Amino acid sequence: MTSQTVDQGTAGFSGHTRPPIWRNTSVLKWLVQIVVLVAVLAVFWFLAAQARTNLSAKGIPVSYDWLDEPANIQLGEGIQTVDTEERRLTMSRALWVGMVNTLRIASIGIIVSTIIGITVGIARLSKNWLARKVSSIYVETLRNVPVLVQIILWLAILGSLGKLTADSGPIPGWVIVSQKGISLPRVFLADGFYQFVSMVLIAMIPVWFVRRSLKRRQDREGGNTHATGITLGAFVVIAVIAWFANPVMAFLGPVFGGVESAWGSIPQGLMQLVLSVAALGGAVLWIKRFLDSRRTPAGLAKLIDDDWFRMIFAVVAALLAVLVLVRGWPGLSSWIVNSGSDLFGVISDKFGDGRGSRPIDAMKPTLSEGRFVNYGPTGLTMTVFYASLFFGLVFYTSSFIAEIVRGGILAVPAGQSEAAAALGLSRSQALRKVVLPQAFRVIMPPLGNQYLNITKNTSLGIAVGFSEIVQVGQTVYNKNSQTLAVFSIYMVFYLACSLSISSVVNTINRRLAIVER
Amino acid sequence: MSEVTLPAAQRAPEAESVSPGRWVRENLFSSVSNVIQTVFFSLVLLGLLRWVLGQIFSEEANWTSVATNMRLLFTYNYPTEQFVRIWFAAGALFLAVGASFAAWNLNPMVTVRRIGVAVVGTGAVSLVVALISPDTTPSAVRTGFLAVGIGLVVLALAVLKVVPEPHRRQVPFIGMLAGVAVLVCGVLWFFPFGDYGFADGAPTAKSGTIDSSTSLPVTVMFLIMIGTYLAGRALARVIDLGWLRRTMIGWWVIGPAFVVFLVLRDPEFDWGYVLAVDVPMGAAFAVGGAVLLYLLAKPSRSDLARVIGALLVALALFHWVAAFFGWYPMLQKARFSFALVAVAVLLAPTFAGERAARLRFAGGWFGFMVLFHWLLTGINTPSTLDIAAPPFLGGFVLTVSIAYYVMLASFPLGVLLSLARTSKMPIFRVLATTYIEVVRGVPLITVLFFFSIMLPLFLPGGMGISDLAAVFAGYTVFSAAYMAENIRGGLQSVRRGQYEAADALGLTTVQRTAFIVLPQALRVSIPNLVGQAIATFKETSLIAIVGGFDLLRIANSTIPNQPDFLGQKRPALFFISLVYFVVAYSMSRASRNLEERLQEGQAR
Repeated sequence: MTSQTVDQGTAGFSGHTRPPIWRNTSVLKWLVQIVVLVAVLAVFWFLAAQARTNLSAKGIPVSYDWLDEPANIQLGEGIQTVDTEERRLTMSRALWVGMVNTLRIASIGIIVSTIIGITVGIARLSKNWLARKVSSIYVETLRNVPVLVQIILWLAILGSLGKLTADSGPIPGWVIVSQKGISLPRVFLADGFYQFVSMVLIAMIPVWFVRRSLKRRQDREGGNTHATGITLGAFVVIAVIAWFANPVMAFLGPVFGGVESAWGSIPQGLMQLVLSVAALGGAVLWIKRFLDSRRTPAGLAKLIDDDWFRMIFAVVAALLAVLVLVRGWPGLSSWIVNSGSDLFGVISDKFGDGRGSRPIDAMKPTLSEGRFVNYGPTGLTMTVFYASLFFGLVFYTSSFIAEIVRGGILAVPAGQSEAAAALGLSRSQALRKVVLPQAFRVIMPPLGNQYLNITKNTSLGIAVGFSEIVQVGQTVYNKNSQTLAVFSIYMVFYLACSLSISSVVNTINRRLAIVER
Repeated sequence: MSEVTLPAAQRAPEAESVSPGRWVRENLFSSVSNVIQTVFFSLVLLGLLRWVLGQIFSEEANWTSVATNMRLLFTYNYPTEQFVRIWFAAGALFLAVGASFAAWNLNPMVTVRRIGVAVVGTGAVSLVVALISPDTTPSAVRTGFLAVGIGLVVLALAVLKVVPEPHRRQVPFIGMLAGVAVLVCGVLWFFPFGDYGFADGAPTAKSGTIDSSTSLPVTVMFLIMIGTYLAGRALARVIDLGWLRRTMIGWWVIGPAFVVFLVLRDPEFDWGYVLAVDVPMGAAFAVGGAVLLYLLAKPSRSDLARVIGALLVALALFHWVAAFFGWYPMLQKARFSFALVAVAVLLAPTFAGERAARLRFAGGWFGFMVLFHWLLTGINTPSTLDIAAPPFLGGFVLTVSIAYYVMLASFPLGVLLSLARTSKMPIFRVLATTYIEVVRGVPLITVLFFFSIMLPLFLPGGMGISDLAAVFAGYTVFSAAYMAENIRGGLQSVRRGQYEAADALGLTTVQRTAFIVLPQALRVSIPNLVGQAIATFKETSLIAIVGGFDLLRIANSTIPNQPDFLGQKRPALFFISLVYFVVAYSMSRASRNLEERLQEGQAR
């Protein structure tokens, strides 16, 4: 901006004559940009042409037809590992198993590394010398050794553990650590879970109103009304009662059954109409809110081209949606009708007589033929490959998260906690209500980066043979040489992961941001 | 940087030491929660230490596998009879380190007390190790730890007692350097390292056979480094060392390439061809370009330079178009040189000035072209090294070189990308943003796979690229996106007033960017760039997956496959973890010191 104003200024200076074309910066800037764009496009075109020639010469033109072919791949672990009659393991299915494995380890890794990281980060700020030292040794050791080396070291260590026998493990029968992996009891949702949850939810509604009135009284009159304590106590009491008494809720089964048949009888045309009205109404609402946001005390602000474009885009998008609903894809409406009715059917099946009352149950690992049964009603087993990748990723990332947490807490000025103390807040209140909310504002963006890193680093599973997307993809392109197609799938998958994580983090950031007047 | 930092000389002295009893009461047992933390964390620490020691001293771990394979881990299969090249390269490196430390007057001081406390701590740790190490530990090792622990504690305590005011007295840098040198050389001279080599065509492990052909050169090199440092400091008292700094910057940019490609790789020049083709071409570009640039760098000829520059760019592009259609043959080196001439001519108005400035500009071009052609000729000449597998780089040397070159090569790319991303020109901005976000969105390993598998497919027929070069290209492409983001942070911290002042002086956009904005932006982004250098160094371990023989690959698959050490993974993996840790940790410490120095420079 600055340069342009100055350029125009000097152009004006020279009086009536325009600068010659090779000195006119606005012409030159566009010329250079266009030349570079053309050069970039030319290079890409050239590379693509080369790749097409080379690939055709090898007899492997790029296509995606192979996705439906049977995979004939032995997957290490995942939601489906073998090819069966009723569920074919196609190439696309194999890649999907890899993606699920990636997401599984990434999401659990994110949770565990956050917990460890926050603990260690706070311990680094402890008043206790030993706590500070131990946690700083943890951080400095783990973050200065490459994560891949750590993962492979974990594999070597786990691989050198003892053989799996009936009495192996720190707690035989319950927690078993061996060279086959780590097995823990599995906690799962038992028969009575949905009855239990609905009972607790319904019983909590009056408690919630009591809590609100208690909080109001606290705000009005001062003094502690113990709103949170009473709520928690009521919750515990309700949960204990519901644990045993939840079969009472069996009547919800027929209720949901009724909803199922009612929803299923909605005609397709009505659903189309409702959805179209929703799309158009959404667009109108959006435009109204947009115009409101452009309104100033002096009247509607001048709209620039971009604003018009946005509004036109909203209308066009709504019209397109209507077109798709009515003409392009009428099946969508009947799909919503059918699957909605199915959903209520599934829910209604969760209630009913003859169900045990236990909402949650646990199972021990079962050993069969010298190895653990991984899926089905049995314990939870991490294979050594999963465990080494998991430990490597979690410990490495948690050391970075610890540093982020420490930095975030240190970034809150000391005056804030002093002011909180002056107001009479206790130390834990000051931490919860003054320091941590401000620290989170600093912590959140780099924390999001670490979550992205952990997701991307799951690709190192290829080094230990864990069947995540990159490893499965490699097996696939080693089989059919469709390298380019597999790489495009990698790219789309990882970009989707990155975008979804960063959009979640950005949303949280926007919520945390200081609202300035 | 609103915080006022005291300059180094006036920094407050360290606090007087308190009595040990009071210290323990205050730091470990001041309150109930404090006592609980002390108990909890000492249990955690003892448990962890015990577990790690169990791993290290387990019966299965054969540490001879590491001691015997030192040569492999550091240089892989570089031929032993050519090892003098390695020593020469290392000597050049040590010399440069010493000279650089002297040129920038890097003299980090540490008080005697801190060193003493650190030594007491080390001694205490080795005593604990001796006490809690598992039963499988050899008794000699246990006794050794015990003796070393007692020795260190007694020595350090004695020094702390004898030296008056240990918290004030400082040990100069040269003392610490000498300490490190004595430690490393002592280990080399007295520890029985073995060697793993071929005897009568069969791989054999020789234990305890290290001879002076390794320990002597290393000792000499440490002496060279210390000598250079002392000489530089002595010289600095007499004359200004500005020229040495410029020389050293140049050396660090270009030197390592020459060490690797001309010294380690040992190209066998075909002198007839070199004298007939390479030398004349290089000379023509160097001399012709220098004359052209000298003439065009006159301020009054700026317009002419721009027009000629545009024509030369068109000509350079045309050479590649012609190559695509096969109209006329031309050496690739010549095409690149033409492109460089065109860019330099376009830059001539930026460096325009009086006679001395023009001479410097033209001289710089001349030197650059000579080095460029020499290096390219060297790279394109077959190596004479007698190596079974093609890559002559391996082990620690490969790890360090890849990290160094990736940082070096991605730097200009990163600067360009960050400038494009922050520029007001929409096409540049969109291109750069797309590149950066796409590359940052995917994992490094997929980029490396893509380049090592796909790059040969994208090249025109007949043109090949070695595996290592493909991986290097992929890593550079990846690293540049992160580099761009780090530099963008710096660019955004440059205040508007700087731009306006540059415009008021009548600088062109390029001059403003190169002389006003970038120097300030880069200074701000130095800590982030060091952070990226550490990350780059650590992530070179991924090369092991795509086929390079770096530290990790050797530790994880080469050593465990040797007949003498079948399945011995853990010792070597622990050892390379230590190597990575030492390098990365010292880099991060150095960056913290650097940050403090930079802040001192900012404080007024």
